[in-house]
Formats: sequence, C-alpha cells, structure tokens
Amino acid sequence: MRVPYAYLSEQFADIEPYIDDLRGLVASGEFTIGPYVEAFERKFADHIGVKHAIGTNTGTDALILALKAIGVGPGDEVITVPNTFIATVGAIVAAGATPVFVDSDERYQIDVSLIAEAITPRTRAIVPVHWAGCPSDIESVLEIADRHGIAVVEDACPSVGAQVNGRSVGTFGRVNGFSMHPLKPLNVWGDGGIVVTNDDEAAKFLHLYRNHGLSDRDHIDIWGVNARLQPVQAIVASRQLDVVDEIADVRIRNARRLDQGLRDLKEYVKIPERPSGYREVYQLYQVGVARRDELVSYIEAQGIEAKVHYPIPLHLQQAAMSLGYKRGDFPVCERQANEIITLPAHQHITTEQIDHVIGAIHSFYGANL
Amino acid sequence: MAKRASDTPVVPYAALAELTSVVKSELMGVFEDVLDSGQYIMGQELEAFEREFAAYCGSSYAVGIANGTCALHLVLRGLGLSHRDEVITAPNSFIASASSIALTGATPVFVDIQPDLNMDPDLIEAAITPRTKAIVPVHLTGRPARMNEILDIAGRHGLFVLEDSAQAVGSSLEGRRTGSWGDAACFSMHPLKNLHSFGDGGMITTDDEAVRDRMMVARNHGLSARDRCDYWSFNCRLDELQAALLRVQLPYLDAWTQERRELAFRYNDLLRQYVDVPEEGPGEFCSYQTYMVQADRRDGLQAHLISGGVQALVHYPTPLHLQPAAKELGYTAADFPMAVEAAGRILSLPLYPGLSHGQQDRVAELVARFYRD
Repeated sequence: MRVPYAYLSEQFADIEPYIDDLRGLVASGEFTIGPYVEAFERKFADHIGVKHAIGTNTGTDALILALKAIGVGPGDEVITVPNTFIATVGAIVAAGATPVFVDSDERYQIDVSLIAEAITPRTRAIVPVHWAGCPSDIESVLEIADRHGIAVVEDACPSVGAQVNGRSVGTFGRVNGFSMHPLKPLNVWGDGGIVVTNDDEAAKFLHLYRNHGLSDRDHIDIWGVNARLQPVQAIVASRQLDVVDEIADVRIRNARRLDQGLRDLKEYVKIPERPSGYREVYQLYQVGVARRDELVSYIEAQGIEAKVHYPIPLHLQQAAMSLGYKRGDFPVCERQANEIITLPAHQHITTEQIDHVIGAIHSFYGANL
Repeated sequence: MAKRASDTPVVPYAALAELTSVVKSELMGVFEDVLDSGQYIMGQELEAFEREFAAYCGSSYAVGIANGTCALHLVLRGLGLSHRDEVITAPNSFIASASSIALTGATPVFVDIQPDLNMDPDLIEAAITPRTKAIVPVHLTGRPARMNEILDIAGRHGLFVLEDSAQAVGSSLEGRRTGSWGDAACFSMHPLKNLHSFGDGGMITTDDEAVRDRMMVARNHGLSARDRCDYWSFNCRLDELQAALLRVQLPYLDAWTQERRELAFRYNDLLRQYVDVPEEGPGEFCSYQTYMVQADRRDGLQAHLISGGVQALVHYPTPLHLQPAAKELGYTAADFPMAVEAAGRILSLPLYPGLSHGQQDRVAELVARFYRD
C-alpha cells in the first residue's frame, strides 16, 4: 500500500469554483493588490481575530516585514530556535539583526526556561516558532518578554488554525507572520504569506513597506520592497480559508490515530506531550524514533513516504558560521535532529493507510500489534 | 465641445483582459496542468521558461524571480555591497531602481538624463568615486540605454553593470537584445509589461555562470540543497504557475511587440506637429512598453485628454531624488535639471496590442484640438 506524503493534486482536484473567481480577476485587471487581496485580508483578520492582516508574497516576507515593523535593525539581537525552517533566521538577518538561539523542548518548541538567560541589553525581540502546526508555550514567552520590556514576533508560518485556550496563534505577539506555501495548513498555488497585527502604526508601516514605500501612486515615503500577495493566490487562499478548520479537524483525527497506534512502542517512539487547551493542527506530524534513518528506508520500502524536518539544525549550517556556534551548544535540538521523523497525516490519507504506517513501524521494531 | 468623462474611458490606458482572451484557452490549459501536477514551486515549467527566456534574450542563463524589484535587489546584494559603497542609476525611473540599491545598504547616486529620457553616459564619469561599485542603466519605456558607452566607462573603472531592463523585454540595440549587454540584467513581468504574468513576476539574465549559480541559491533562502543553507537569504522565487503562463505567451511576444511598434510609429506621425514624440534613434529597436511624449502645458493636456475619455498618465511626476524617501541623500531640484524638466513634460498615452486606429485617431484629435484652441 502506498502512503504518499504529497496531496496537492487531490486537494485541488476540482478547480471549477476557483476558475470562476479567476475569470472575475482577469476581467477586472486588478493584478496589483486590489479588491481580491483586500477582501482576503479582511476575511483572514476576522478569522483569526486580529485587527490588521496584510498579504505578502511569502511567509519569509511576512517575518521580515514584522521585524522591520517593530524597529528591529543592525545592532539588535533577536532570540529564536535552531530547529526551524531557515526563513525564521533568514528574516532576522535580512532585518539587519543577529540571531541568538535557545534550545528546543521535548515538544520541538522553544524551551521557555532558557529564554531569560539568552536576553542581553541588545535583545530587541523574541521570535517563538509555532513549529509543525503546534503552538509554542506562547503565554510564557509573552510573560518573559513583558518582564524584560522586549517585543514578541510570532513565527506562525506553519500554524494557521493552531490555538492556545481558544485563541489563535498569531494574535499574541505585536506583529506576527504566517506562510501559505503549498505545504502549509492554509495553502495556495505557489508562494504567499500574511503579516498580522493589532497595532495601527505597525499596520501603516507594513502597507507602505510592502509596496515600494508608496503612500500613493506618486509618493515614496520610505524605501520599501515589493512583497505583495498575488491576487491569484488571494483568491485561492480565500476559498481555502472556508475549509481550513475542517482540514485541520481531519489532520487532528489522523494524528490521534497515529498517537494511539504508536503509544505502545514507548521504547522506540517518543510522542511529544499533547497539552490540554492547545489546538495542534499538525502541519507536520512529527515524533522522535530510534534508528531513524533505518526506519525511514524500511517504511519507504513499504510505500510510505516519510521526511525529516530537518536533519541539520540551523546553528550548524554553513550560513551560521559567523555566529560562532558549535556542536554541543543546543544538545536537545541536536539530539532531536537525529530522532525526528515526519509521517504522512494529511487530510487525504485513509485510516487504512494510517494503520499501514502503524503496522510497518511495529514490524520494523519487531513488535507485535 | 469636449465630452464628459464617463466611468469607462473611450481609450483606457491598458486592456489586459482583451489581450489575455487571445491566448486564454492555452493559458487555461497549462493552468490546469500545473494544478494537476501538484508541483507549485520551482518545477519543470519554471526551468523550461528560464531556458526559453534566456534564449530569447540571447543570454546564457535566466533565473526566475518573484518580481522585478526582488531581481534588482538580489543581484546587487550578491555583489556584497555595504553602506560604504555607491551605485549609479537614473533619477527618472520607477522607485525600484533606487530602492534596490538603498536596501543593500549602499547609496544610490543619480546621474541626469539625455533628451531621450535615458541615462546620459557623458555624465557618468563625473559621478564615479572610489566607492562606486556598479552602474544600473535603465532602458526606460523600452528604449535601450546607450550601452556601448556605458560598458566602456564601466570597463575602464572596473564596475559591474546591471541593466534595469524591467520595461524592455524584446528591445534591442544594434541587433543585440537588452538584457544581454551588462554583467546581468533584470526584467519585470508585472501585468503592465509587454510580457507579463498574472500578478508579479521577474527574471534575471546573465552570461556569468557564477552569477547564475548565486542567484539560484539566493532566491531560495540560501539553500544549495534541501538541507544545506549556504547563507541567509530571501524567498523570492517565481511561482511555477506564473512561469507556465509566461511560457504560453513568450512565442507571441514578437508579434505583440511588432504591433506596439506599428501603433507607436502611427502615433508619432499623428502627433509629431504638437508634441515631442519618441522617435527611434539610430541602432535602436524600441519595444514601446510605454508610449511617452513630452508636451508643453502637460497638465492641461492630460486633463483635456481625460475629460475626453482618454486615460493619459504621468510616469512619474516626481523624480526619485525629490521623493521623501531620498531625503537623506541630500539632493535638490537643481541637481538633475533634465530629469526635473522632463518630469513636468512627460505624458504616457494608451498603447497596447489591440488598440484600434479609431482609438488612436481619437487621442490625436484631442491633442490637436488642445493645441489649436
């Protein structure tokens, strides 16, 4: 039985409704921001419960803009984790600041007990990542940040729909970013992102900076960039937003079934804690396993596509060399890099396929179901 | 009596939807193909379009980028510019020519323009200092800048030349396409460009393999492989979907350019006695992305055209060096008299494939009446 990791062609098997909207777009000629982007921005802001949502070309742009909006620049330090997608750190560097890492916890989230000691007089912001579609302990992060008078920018890129005690991620920090890359919970047909805030001043800056610093067609207030969300993608995102919660419910169900099916393999499989009050939407279904690389090949031979996100922590990447970190600096994250495996749990796999995954992992460890 | 302005102009500035309908069935076909493929980021369509676009420009390589602004920014960033460096460009361009320099930390240094609205090569050397690292000539409106002179100066001073070819796909100089002259070139595929995506799009061309390799990594987070990040960078990839739609249109581009040129020459004949028209200079092959005249009493003429149902625009009324964003560069209106004078005279008239002779005649009639009365 094949259990593919990819699902996009199934998700978008019926594109007729989109085509109708796209016809309207082409007839309108509104290809640069315009009503389709603005309507989506309003809808998204209402959906997660925030005042302003500004569509961006990518999730990376959303993070860069968020950091710029709170005034991050050269000389500043920004705290984040080494077990994230590169863009978190790329955005900090793009804003001119120095990334400072703190280790991850056993849920693959920022270890909040380590943040305080990483704060220096130069620390300007903390960027917790809601990794894998699961919320970080954002309430504790905010408390620490408040105590030290520094801002929080949530990297909510993988986590549209994730919540903490009924409140969406992306509504806690001052300015926060989401991605709509094809493999994210709210996904489009290429790249896309959104930056959100309740702060009117920040929103004003974000609108300006995203579109060349133009306050109107002929006036450039600041040097900005072109980081606009594409109207085609806004149309896709708008329709996806109607079903994003249903999709998340299916993924949550799939994740529970995997959790239950793997729980008896305690010796080999570490399932992260699932805190009550947290809505985890499983952009990635990630667990820690013994003999990871062997397991990946073994289940691959049984038709199951598994991935590793990611095998090399960011502090050990070539790009991080000038930051002066070394192996051993973040022992939890480094250990996890050798343990983590991402199993398919998306909305288009069946319970039979999930059970096949569970069975294959059992047989690898020589355990009976 | 002039007709009152109505909601729908008789001669709109652009007619994207009409042009799109020519190739619509082809566009819809590839659209569905891409969606069915499930490959929405950096797939085969992008690779194929890059090959075809490079061949079209006569360059060895092309790299698809999210938009023209990102393309300029990435190339300049790849030069390793710092706040001590300077880059020369023209003050009468779209913002991105200057902002892409400023955003690398370097200082944009402007040089004035010549009567054809492109950078005046005779003024470049006076602007070169020991800090100068590059020149960014702009092929404004699709008219090639004087690349022979510019390359000569750059060669003597060891400067990198980045063509801002955002408006100039399909243009050439002495039979050689814009985008194939400098060390690298940047194109925009914004909807108002001659070859356009359905949203934003951009491209970098170069003959230098090292530049190509660097840009392929720089546009994708600095990733040289899935799990290897060589340096921190941005995400500014051209969407697979846009690449596929652009691919469909590329074979039509020369015919569209030809139609633009014929319409431009017809405008020239109709308007020459009233305004300065964009005549083609020796060796130039202009793609007329913008049909820009220079007119006395410009504001009055623009208002007259608009009230007559003709959407005439100004690109742009304020030169870059006088924008609030440029304040700290310390320029004044006296610094670039040609650019400042042109800003008060330029007017862009509707020009696009599908514009009818009747519509052109309407424009000409309004212009004639304005100057007669």
